[in-house]
Amino acid sequence: MDLFSQLLRNRKALIGVTILLVVVLLAVFAPLLTDYLPTQRVGRPHQPPSGDHLLGTTRLGYDVFTRLLYGARVSLAVGFGAGLLITVIGTVLGIIAGYKGGVVDEVISFFTNMILVIPNLPLLLVLAAFIGQASPLVIAIILGFTSWAWGVRVTRSETMSIRQRDFVKSAEMLGESQWRIMAFEIFPNLISIVGINFIGSVIFAVISEATLEFLGLGDPNTVSWGIMLYNAQNSSALSVGAWWDILTPCIALATLGLGLALINFAIDEIANPRLRTGGMLLRWAGLIRRGEGTL
Amino acid sequence: MAFLLRRLAFYLAAFIAAATINFFLPRVMPGDPIQIMFAGAGSDLSLENLNALKLTFGFIDAPLGEQYLAYLKSVFTGDLGRSIRFFPLPVTELLARALIWTVGLVGLATLVSFALGTLLGVMAAWRRGTLLDTVVSLSSIFSSSVPAVVVSLIVLFTFGYTLGWFPNGYAANPMLDPGWTWEYVSSVLYHGTLPMLTMVLVLTGGFAVTMRNNMINLLGEDYIVMGRAKGLADRRVMLWYAARNALLPTVSALAISLGAVLGGSLIIEVVFNYPGMGNTLYQAILARDYPVIQGELLIMTAAMLTANFIVDLSYVLLDPRLKKA
Repeated sequence: MDLFSQLLRNRKALIGVTILLVVVLLAVFAPLLTDYLPTQRVGRPHQPPSGDHLLGTTRLGYDVFTRLLYGARVSLAVGFGAGLLITVIGTVLGIIAGYKGGVVDEVISFFTNMILVIPNLPLLLVLAAFIGQASPLVIAIILGFTSWAWGVRVTRSETMSIRQRDFVKSAEMLGESQWRIMAFEIFPNLISIVGINFIGSVIFAVISEATLEFLGLGDPNTVSWGIMLYNAQNSSALSVGAWWDILTPCIALATLGLGLALINFAIDEIANPRLRTGGMLLRWAGLIRRGEGTL
Repeated sequence: MAFLLRRLAFYLAAFIAAATINFFLPRVMPGDPIQIMFAGAGSDLSLENLNALKLTFGFIDAPLGEQYLAYLKSVFTGDLGRSIRFFPLPVTELLARALIWTVGLVGLATLVSFALGTLLGVMAAWRRGTLLDTVVSLSSIFSSSVPAVVVSLIVLFTFGYTLGWFPNGYAANPMLDPGWTWEYVSSVLYHGTLPMLTMVLVLTGGFAVTMRNNMINLLGEDYIVMGRAKGLADRRVMLWYAARNALLPTVSALAISLGAVLGGSLIIEVVFNYPGMGNTLYQAILARDYPVIQGELLIMTAAMLTANFIVDLSYVLLDPRLKKA
């Protein structure tokens, strides 16, 4: 497709995709890249980086590099899984609200706006607290079902403007069914917004998963970047100066976040040459910021 | 007026929604909801106290509808129950103590980063394509894609532990008596520096990007060209013609980002062991102190709704078109 060939020619996209690919490859080939298992004591506690342990060991004597590789699997799976769920719900509701209008729109918009004014991270914390020691799968599902509101808002307003265009009007005249118009006339024109929503949601999900686990709401037996942060914080890695223990997951999260953000930035530039400096970027910034409960 | 009333009705509905989540959560979880809510109390609670707590959370011997009404009644009369960990301290009192610190931290940090971000955004847009613009845009992307947890841990590790310039926790030196003495106030400022710095780092990028994009969209407008053609000073066109008009959407972005601001402050408070709302929520979660956890969601929602309402009010003042509507 045209979008993809353009993506490959964009420098930001190239750097972003490279970062993402490296992380994916590290995650997939984890067993080939390390001799250890992530939940195996393989050294003395808090050993600094060395030939045997490239990124040192944790308080419990686990190999940090090994946990980084295996942890990438969980971060990617939760990020892309929850991101997909958020995007599907947001896109479907957004198109329906924007196209149908009337009561359907009122109802969907009401719930969307309501979710937007309830602070996201505290809500997630309350949910996770009642569930207790949430596994990555549970976290992904919670994220998916609580975080679609932004996508609805953006998709809805774009659908409303596309709905006025001639090709939609003529499809209506020809007597096409409403579902067909939404799926085959409107959706293809939203593809860049859906893409930006998707990547933004992936960033949000990766960050939120790490945050929830860092706060002790995840399952402590998982091997993930969030649990690495949690363990490092709880074993006072900061005060004993075990920088490798705490900085490794930090840098991993920052790099993945940056890579994904660059991809999003590039999609935006390609989809809206006129807005090469603005416009949709604003929504994109919102999508990410919503994350950290971020920003 | 009609606009504000409609917004107020909407906020009321949103608040009831948050309360409804609180009401149903323990009830849809597997197991006995009373057991879930009050298990942490163990045998410390007398039967009388336990019954009072049950009543507050709507655990009465009646159909679900009546239980719900009983719960809403206690919420709207300001009774959020009592903390289990710090029994018999009322949740409202516990949270009121924490609220001061969060409001101070979040309020100040938001103001600073809003002003700084807006200024940077205006300048980047005005000198589009220059080195300044590139630096501002790139650091904005970076600051908005790095998780707050990561920023706070790195700031704490660098300035707190490695360089030792700032304290690693608490809002003030615990040896001092709180009061308006120079010693105490300076200690508060000293302890607040790192959390503030972190929060400004996390927030500024988003504001800068928003302002830059609004400005760029406005710079092509006729009245900007007119201002320049009239020979007005560059600075005057930039600030009084472009920036003023670009500010309106930025204010609404501020309202939307408030939930995120609260979330960001939550993490920063936990990392820096700052005694605000976020850290209180964190401690409550660790201790499974459910009345406090639920009270937090309500208070944070209320704070967010209030802030949104203030933004609505400022909108009416900033945008004359809304006054007539």
